Amino acid sequence: MSDQTTMKREVAGAPVAESEESLRDTLKRCPAETLEAALAYRKSGDVSLVPVIVLGIVERFLDPDVGDKLHSGGDSIEFMTDLGMDSLTMIEAIMMVEESLGVSIKNEELLNLRSVGDLKSFIHEKLTGIACEEPKTFYSVDQIAAIMPQQSPFLFLSQATVTELGANGSYLITGQEEFLEGHFKGNPVFPASLMLEALGQLAVFKLIKNPPREVQSTIDSSEIYFTGVDSVRCHRICKPGDTLEMKIQVKRVREPLAIFSGQITVNGEKSVVAEEITLAFKSEGAASLLEGSTNGLNGGTHSTNGAH
Amino acid sequence: MERKRVFITGVGVISGIGNDVRGVSESLRDLKHGFSAYPPFLDDPLAPVTLVSAPKEFQVDSNDFEDWVYPEQYRVRREVLRGFAPHGLYVYCAMKQAIEDAGLEEEDVSNVETGIYTASSGSTRLVYHNMSRMHEVGPMRCSPTGIVSAISGTLSFNLVAGFRIQGNSCGFSSACASSGHALGFAYDDIAMGRQKRMFIAAGEDVNYESVVPFTGMRALSLETDPVRASCPFDAKRNGFVCAGGGAVLVLESEEEAMRRGSTPYVELLGWGQSSDGHNVAISHPEGLGLIRAIDKACESTGVDAGEIDYINAHATSTLIGDASEGKALDVVFNSKGYSPKISSTKAITGHGLSLASALEASIISIAMKEGFTPGSAHIQNLDSQFEAFNIIRKTELVAPQVALSNSSGFGGANVSLLFKRV
Repeated sequence: MSDQTTMKREVAGAPVAESEESLRDTLKRCPAETLEAALAYRKSGDVSLVPVIVLGIVERFLDPDVGDKLHSGGDSIEFMTDLGMDSLTMIEAIMMVEESLGVSIKNEELLNLRSVGDLKSFIHEKLTGIACEEPKTFYSVDQIAAIMPQQSPFLFLSQATVTELGANGSYLITGQEEFLEGHFKGNPVFPASLMLEALGQLAVFKLIKNPPREVQSTIDSSEIYFTGVDSVRCHRICKPGDTLEMKIQVKRVREPLAIFSGQITVNGEKSVVAEEITLAFKSEGAASLLEGSTNGLNGGTHSTNGAH
Repeated sequence: MERKRVFITGVGVISGIGNDVRGVSESLRDLKHGFSAYPPFLDDPLAPVTLVSAPKEFQVDSNDFEDWVYPEQYRVRREVLRGFAPHGLYVYCAMKQAIEDAGLEEEDVSNVETGIYTASSGSTRLVYHNMSRMHEVGPMRCSPTGIVSAISGTLSFNLVAGFRIQGNSCGFSSACASSGHALGFAYDDIAMGRQKRMFIAAGEDVNYESVVPFTGMRALSLETDPVRASCPFDAKRNGFVCAGGGAVLVLESEEEAMRRGSTPYVELLGWGQSSDGHNVAISHPEGLGLIRAIDKACESTGVDAGEIDYINAHATSTLIGDASEGKALDVVFNSKGYSPKISSTKAITGHGLSLASALEASIISIAMKEGFTPGSAHIQNLDSQFEAFNIIRKTELVAPQVALSNSSGFGGANVSLLFKRV
């Protein structure tokens, strides 16, 4: 949110712990440095103090045995999956952040604060009006399945966050996928072709949920096809138990084509890199891509790997 | 359909007279009361009452649950504790005891054949606190667990979730008969084969907001001397002493108790209930509703009133209530020439409201198993209208064979439960 006016209005309505005494009371079970930072922030408004305040508040709600994880894990640590917090604890922590820093966080904003980094940058932006990271929206598997043309057993996307420029998603290889019985006999390996399909699906989701600016028309979600992929390298074999961490970025759009770059990592290790993934989409009201000639889609050397 | 037999196989108690079965048993044998002056009353000239019966070793008055102090052996995780009213913590601890006492494993507690019925009136104190805060700072700065910790039903929400209960569950809200109803309907569920095992979990707060409103209806004794404050059947009784705490009982079908090789405390033979249909707060002066509840209990279990050799009376030490129960007992027992032993253990426990019936069922269970009959304490001058009764003043070291427990609540709700020694 870069509009200062909007931000100010929100802050004006925000709760602020009225006095130093009530701030001390609010933060009484937080680490000492958190209280000091919050008191200092009151005086200076120095936003570099925000991380220690936010981390201390989160820590105060954690079971002691996951406290170390919070400090060692960095910004990617997720509140629910890594720290065992539930949504009620999130609300408790957020209320304390609101009271301590005088910000106000809406319910829909809360849903997108999944990691320590999300919360830190969100608060930073609230306080300064300057985004340190582009806003993103989180989607669960149910939300994904509700709008995707691909469905189980051919949906390889179990959660996603979408931004203006791209999307991140993940898929856990459960080992229950039927094709693993034959790929390979006695040695289940997730097929590289399906990893590309998974990246393609993430790109489809991005197109539907948050179409790139260049797209003027409304995209018809029922007709988006995988038309090509260039410069693919596979670096790591992926097996049941691995979580495919996917990332795609919009490279360019020339209707009816949208071109993305994509990569998959597992536990931080590079697994697949695809320099260009091309999707063809149909605008609402336009003729079906399947009608007449499909030359427009097959002009190059692209295969239709994984086409739905 | 043949009814299954139902046994009480586990008991847990957090109360003014003891925080476990052993402590409660000792207090019952010595008739040692659990009353003490409650400091917030002493500081407040507007609070005319002095005494309460509160569990020792618990400090749960703070509206911030993270300030609470409770015995070390119960480690309650923050995310569990935050959903509790003060009495939620009492009952949670009692539940831990009951599970251990019955020898239940995790899978015995969490399955579709095991349920829980609860009884509490919620936490007036937390409701008051939450509403005050809401008006002061707005709803978005109120605790997200404000509702589930405060409203009546709080025990069910918390215990079902906390102990992963998968069977039947609901809460009962018939004031001082609540946990009697919970026991009765839990009995029915097992007798009818709907569940194999039921927990009965009852509790009440004991704090300014839970106690002082009763002085407005002139129900509490304002005495500062514990012996004079709670003295059911005494000529000078003048109201009850409020008790808080928690009690949990484990009820199991005969097959289930045998399968596990457990040693039951007692058999719960059955129950009866009825309503006075008379007054919002005062029991029927002739005890008509209670007579019918006792008759129903006897009819449905095939027990003749003459077989009952001990009655744990509801008698709370109020003028009208004790007299009404006396009329009922006169009709059911004296008029037929029966004279079972009678006592009111509220003389030492105080009146636990929703907790009362479950606490008294726990007392009967302990007494029958260990072999004693608890006496009725604090009687200096027996009210003449009870002279014909066999009210025992001291605890006797002989177990009752068949015991009756009465409970009556606001609106004239009466519950009578029958227990048999095993």
